[in-house]
Amino acid sequence: MKYLLAAAALLILSGCSSIGVQPWERDVLARPEMSLDANALDAAIDDHIYFSKEASSGGRGFGGGGCGCN
Amino acid sequence: MNDDANFNAALAAATCALLGASVPVHAADEEAQRWSFDTSLLYYGESDSRVQDISAAVAAQRDFGDDRKLSLNLTADTLTGASASGATSLDRAQTFTSPSGKATYSTSAGKVPLDDTFKDTRFALNGSWTQPLARLYTVSGGLGFSTEYDYTHLGANASLARDFNKRNTTLSFGVAYSQDDIKPVGGAPVPLSQMLDVGDLRNKRNDDTKNVLDLLFGVTQVVGRNTVVRVNYSYSDSSGYLNDPYKLLSVVDPITGDTIGRVAAGGQGPNGVYLYENRPDSRTKQGIYAEMKHAFGAPVLQLSYRFMTDDWGIDSSTLETRLRWPVGADNFIEPQLRYYTQSEADFYRSSLVAGQRLPQYASADFRLGKFDAVTVGVKFGHRTTSGNEWSARLEYYQQSGDVPGDQIIDRQAGREQYPDLNAVIAQFGYRFGL
Repeated sequence: MKYLLAAAALLILSGCSSIGVQPWERDVLARPEMSLDANALDAAIDDHIYFSKEASSGGRGFGGGGCGCN
Repeated sequence: MNDDANFNAALAAATCALLGASVPVHAADEEAQRWSFDTSLLYYGESDSRVQDISAAVAAQRDFGDDRKLSLNLTADTLTGASASGATSLDRAQTFTSPSGKATYSTSAGKVPLDDTFKDTRFALNGSWTQPLARLYTVSGGLGFSTEYDYTHLGANASLARDFNKRNTTLSFGVAYSQDDIKPVGGAPVPLSQMLDVGDLRNKRNDDTKNVLDLLFGVTQVVGRNTVVRVNYSYSDSSGYLNDPYKLLSVVDPITGDTIGRVAAGGQGPNGVYLYENRPDSRTKQGIYAEMKHAFGAPVLQLSYRFMTDDWGIDSSTLETRLRWPVGADNFIEPQLRYYTQSEADFYRSSLVAGQRLPQYASADFRLGKFDAVTVGVKFGHRTTSGNEWSARLEYYQQSGDVPGDQIIDRQAGREQYPDLNAVIAQFGYRFGL
């Protein structure tokens, strides 16, 4: 498992080294709405609703805590 | 020392004068050391007077400069309304003993049984600290706590991220652990024991606990000037009390499919045979989550897909998209669409058949059944002249499920077996800084 993860990480890193932008090309990425966590509160609220209504949950990050949710 | 300080100040002033700028360091400090708040008021309401929730949330963030941040998140929920118990509908009225064991509640003929004794208030508090560890490393740690009448959650998490390739690639690893205490109203029922008359608590046991370990491996990649992608692998291991103490299964006649009748002593108890559910005491989930954001000029498209699978036999797929479309200089409108589908758990049973050997595990909880769900919504946002932002979001959530054909017995076919769920989600948000 460890080796597999290391190999995967290496593959991603070597594959990713050729893509991306230069520091001075980050104008669009720097816009607040381009952040992957731009709407953290909305995401937490959605996760909580779907956690209590569906069998699968999480995957995006660590959620806001447990709940009896009957 | 004093001379040095004076000299430095003079040098800074001279440099600034040369560059034609006012003293920038202090201005930047003031800008960074501010609290920012994201607040939300939410209404979640299901049709047929099922669950109604009013929730208020405040997320506060204090920036201490140098990428050091403190985040605090406080949520309060009040829930009321009825929840499907798992029992099947019948052509006659059904009576059940309430979870407390002190009263009964009834469902009229032809209706999916709902337990309407459900009321709760939940408070949740989460805090986390994020800071750089070395030049390319970011570390963060957090604590979480939530409490309800019958449930307490305590959790901790930590994560480490490292940037590569001119910060175009970020690898992250996180771990979270939680311990939850479950104190069911009236006690935790003995799994697969029969619902008893009012006042008879022989099958009720003490409180129980549940532990959850979560691991998360993530890669974030800048793909181009307008595109960023994130892929996560998640692993979650739950153990302990994983039953829902309030969920039931009807015991039915093998020929007609009707619930086996029962006469309660003094009329104070269930008029049918119902068993409390039993789930395995461990569950391992794995998931892949992929997300992309792409800017088409001013509009921004967000697209995500999640696949999850667990050792209870549930596989799910979630596809979600949002398109943030600027309207004028200060407004945006954002249509949102989400599709979710899941298969049923191996031990999902819409009912149990009288005379047959009891399975080791069984649950008729509809959330463990096979269903699809669609959420359609729109968010509108407006930036005020002072730079704050308010937003309003309206969504409609609909679940529709199926009971596996081989589990439907005779008369059950003509009745509503899976209580479809329709809910309205209305949210008002306000973001401001202090």
